[in-house]
Amino acid sequence: MMKPPLNEILPAAKSTVSTVYDHSNDPWFKERFSVVESEKSVVLKGKVVPRYLQREGFVPRKVDDFGDGGAFPEIHIAQYPLDMGRNRSAKPGSKILPVTVDAHGNVAYDAIVRQDENSKKIVYSQHKDIVPKILKNVEEEDDMDEDEELQKEIEQTTQETKAALEKIVNVRLSAAQPKNVPQHNSESKYIKYKPSQQSAAFNSGANERIIRMVEMPVDPLEPPKFKHKRVPRASGSPPVPVMHSPPRPVTVKDQQDWKIPPCISNWKNPKGYTIPLDKRLAADGRGLQDVQINDNFAKLSEALYVAEQKAREAVAMRSKVQKEMMMKEKERKEQELRALAQKARAERTGTVVAPPPSSMATPMDDMDTRGDYDTVRERQKDAPPKESREEREERLKRDKIREERKRERERERRLEAKDAAMGKKSKITRDRDRDISEKIALGGANVGNGKGGGEVMYDQRLFNQEKGMDSGFATDDQYNVYDKGLFTAQPTLSTLYKPKKDVDGEMYGGADEQMDKIMKTERFKPDKAFTGTSERAGPRDRPVEFDREVEEADPFGLDQFLTEVKKGKKAMDKVGGGGTMRASGGSSTRDGYDGGSGRSRIGFEKGK
Amino acid sequence: MEYKGIKSTNDIPKQGNPRGQEPAAPSNALALPGPEGSRDQGKGVSENALVVGPTLQSRGKNEGGLPGKSTTVIPASSSSSYRNFSTSAIIERIPSRWPRPEWHAPWKNYRVISGHLGWVRSIAFDPSNTWFCTGSADRTIKIWDVASGKLKYTLTGHIEQIRGLAVSTRHTYMFSAGDDKQVKCWDLEQNKVIRSYHGHLSGVYCLALHPTIDLLLTGGRDSVCRVWDIRTKMQAYALAGHDNTVCSVFTRPTDPQVVTGSHDSTIKFWDLRYGKTMTTLTHHKKSVRALARHPTEHSFASASAENIKKFNLPRGEFLHNMLSQQKTIINAMAINEDGVMVTGGDNGSLWFWDWKSGHNFQQAQTIVQPGSLDSEAAIYAASFDLTGSRLITCEADKTIKMWKQDENATPETHPVNFKPPKDIRRF
Repeated sequence: MMKPPLNEILPAAKSTVSTVYDHSNDPWFKERFSVVESEKSVVLKGKVVPRYLQREGFVPRKVDDFGDGGAFPEIHIAQYPLDMGRNRSAKPGSKILPVTVDAHGNVAYDAIVRQDENSKKIVYSQHKDIVPKILKNVEEEDDMDEDEELQKEIEQTTQETKAALEKIVNVRLSAAQPKNVPQHNSESKYIKYKPSQQSAAFNSGANERIIRMVEMPVDPLEPPKFKHKRVPRASGSPPVPVMHSPPRPVTVKDQQDWKIPPCISNWKNPKGYTIPLDKRLAADGRGLQDVQINDNFAKLSEALYVAEQKAREAVAMRSKVQKEMMMKEKERKEQELRALAQKARAERTGTVVAPPPSSMATPMDDMDTRGDYDTVRERQKDAPPKESREEREERLKRDKIREERKRERERERRLEAKDAAMGKKSKITRDRDRDISEKIALGGANVGNGKGGGEVMYDQRLFNQEKGMDSGFATDDQYNVYDKGLFTAQPTLSTLYKPKKDVDGEMYGGADEQMDKIMKTERFKPDKAFTGTSERAGPRDRPVEFDREVEEADPFGLDQFLTEVKKGKKAMDKVGGGGTMRASGGSSTRDGYDGGSGRSRIGFEKGK
Repeated sequence: MEYKGIKSTNDIPKQGNPRGQEPAAPSNALALPGPEGSRDQGKGVSENALVVGPTLQSRGKNEGGLPGKSTTVIPASSSSSYRNFSTSAIIERIPSRWPRPEWHAPWKNYRVISGHLGWVRSIAFDPSNTWFCTGSADRTIKIWDVASGKLKYTLTGHIEQIRGLAVSTRHTYMFSAGDDKQVKCWDLEQNKVIRSYHGHLSGVYCLALHPTIDLLLTGGRDSVCRVWDIRTKMQAYALAGHDNTVCSVFTRPTDPQVVTGSHDSTIKFWDLRYGKTMTTLTHHKKSVRALARHPTEHSFASASAENIKKFNLPRGEFLHNMLSQQKTIINAMAINEDGVMVTGGDNGSLWFWDWKSGHNFQQAQTIVQPGSLDSEAAIYAASFDLTGSRLITCEADKTIKMWKQDENATPETHPVNFKPPKDIRRF
């Protein structure tokens, strides 16, 4: 048996330390003197590079493929002679997937989806995976066998899963249980040592010291010292190919089906949008349902219409008949009257005239009767021959006037009828439908029945107004804003409080009592005056009195002169009445005219 | 194969592919791109299950030599060699092999229970099948007798609508979850809340119990499915990964033990050992609001507004779409053992499907109870009873409706009107 050499048995030396410096290991030395050796090795193991023009199919990948030289320009592939330019940091294998082929030599393009995590999963990636397959009937023999197998598998799966889950659950449980709060080690350690400085000055002269080491107690409820940071969720399982066709584009119908009309309320519109009326109606929903009207409505209205028509006809007929009867009656009465009159006339004249045709006469011979009457009158006219000429003339004149008046009346009536037919307003009906509210407002309503009209009415409120712009603004210190009560129409007294009778009598006393109390209160009456004023404080008992200034004598006869002027003015009035300028004499002349302006008047005096 | 849920039989290719003898095969071959076909020919013998037109002969030889196991899933495109072919070429051969639907008697509504004062949003059956409980937007849980439809009990305690209910088969517990972020455990011996699982950040939309382990799974608007240990009230996992509300969840005893559907239109399988995603299915375009597991088969269906899809289970392979489109938001789905699937929509449509073929054999419409608006016809939850002979739907008109099959119907009176899908445009 051969013993192996010793240096094979012994482990390789970890480090060699030579006492003498070995210059042959020095990089400087190597650089210069080991060249020959490396050359030798290249020669030994170097691959034979095909010669030029014979390099078809030659792919230089490794360093020794290049021999000693550089890249081959005629080979169109990325070349890294002496590893120059090769990216060493990136591991080449990690990103490049080798081309794999299946049993038939077809390239398995789906290898890309079966990387990493997915390599352990079932990943469907091929077209045949979405092609329908038919499940065969399995109900055949071997049922027992299969059941058994299945049972076994179930059992096994259950066991494994149970174990795995138990582990997880136990860990979670124990973490949640409070019993395993880390107990701090209560054991203490004693350390005995000798201080390095041994002198009486240090350590109070002790040679040795003993230290007791105890673990610092930790508060179990102490909040964590470090903040927990949210760790972003790990990316889920890598994506798998999508095995369905791309979604179909949405058709117009689909889009329309999905269009949901905006909600429009008839009651709320918080944003205040303008909503078209048709939209509002649509929201109402009333337009959506067809209105079904019962046929009977039509029948009823038809029947009503017919009945009304008939009733109207009947009424018209009845009124016509009645009118006719009344006419006849009237006719008869007229005839009677006429007969009576004739009889009376005949009696007066003494001649017996043939009685007028009976009242039974038809209206047809009405003309005849009139003719008769006229002849009678004619006869009557002729009959009294006693009247004198003046009388006769007088009578004729009267008759003429009468005729004229009659014609005029008739004409007027005709005109009026024509106007009414044309829609014009006649003189009579003109004022009938005028709005008279303004008249009433101006107090004009009284005009007609009071004074008999004719007088022009002015709005009295517009007179004597000294408040207009032409009267000028009042001075600042004038306090005349509220010179009148706001509602003059409202009597002040009625708005004041007055105790009512027998209300709360026992509480506040009777009405009279209260009234007395109110009246006699001293509360709001000034009973103090300003000091230094001469005015008397307290209520007055008389009206304010003014002292009349003592009239001075009239040394220049001015007063007298003025009275003369007054007298003279009366005479003047007649003279200047037709003139355009009205002269008022003197400031003292008051003739009832109150000038509109508040200016002091300019007096005109008639020179003598 | 590693998934034992899948049965293996050797003679499946023979049964499943009657087209093997069809002379039309060469015409199919025209649709195949040349180079790959030729490559298949070269390698075909060593591969398994190559069903390409030109290699019919080699496949015939191959049959005996197939490896001992093959899946029961017979892809319409038989192997991976098809993957680059045009869809039309693949689908052309489906109709002849599409399974014929079984005949199912039509269902009819036989009882309407009104008692809730709000939308009825969830339902769960008692394991003894004598009563069921419904959770409503009136914040109560009501317990009803199955046979008579009489109210047995009313439980109050939630302060918002109740979206999820489950009755434990292993304990005397009932679990409820609601929009008030609360998940409660009720003891049915005392009719009291005995536990409450605190942790959801927003409303809880779905709830499921693990069949073999004492685990409770809830998914909610915080886009997380939480796994609770029932006894200790500890949250074992928060299965995070969905981007939107988790609105449906179901559990299985074997892997994948948890399947969730979400408003982000994906379905995820979860590994309960590690709390990680196993698979993500992105076949849906709209939110997956209902998931239903077939009671016996290893498959499930997922419903979203655009499609109802069927998936195979351990691996989650896509099987096929249901053959009609309900065109509404589907809130509820249930499957019974006879292969009747029912889906309830937001517009009150209740569609019945044949599970095997995906054929829609009945389209019912619920009638709202008097006094409700037409728009209140929505089905929020549906469940078959344990025998599968009664269907109960919970609706927005505040009623619970019970359905059963029409006994008088025969295949003659209600013939199946089925045409295999010729041209599948939507996947």
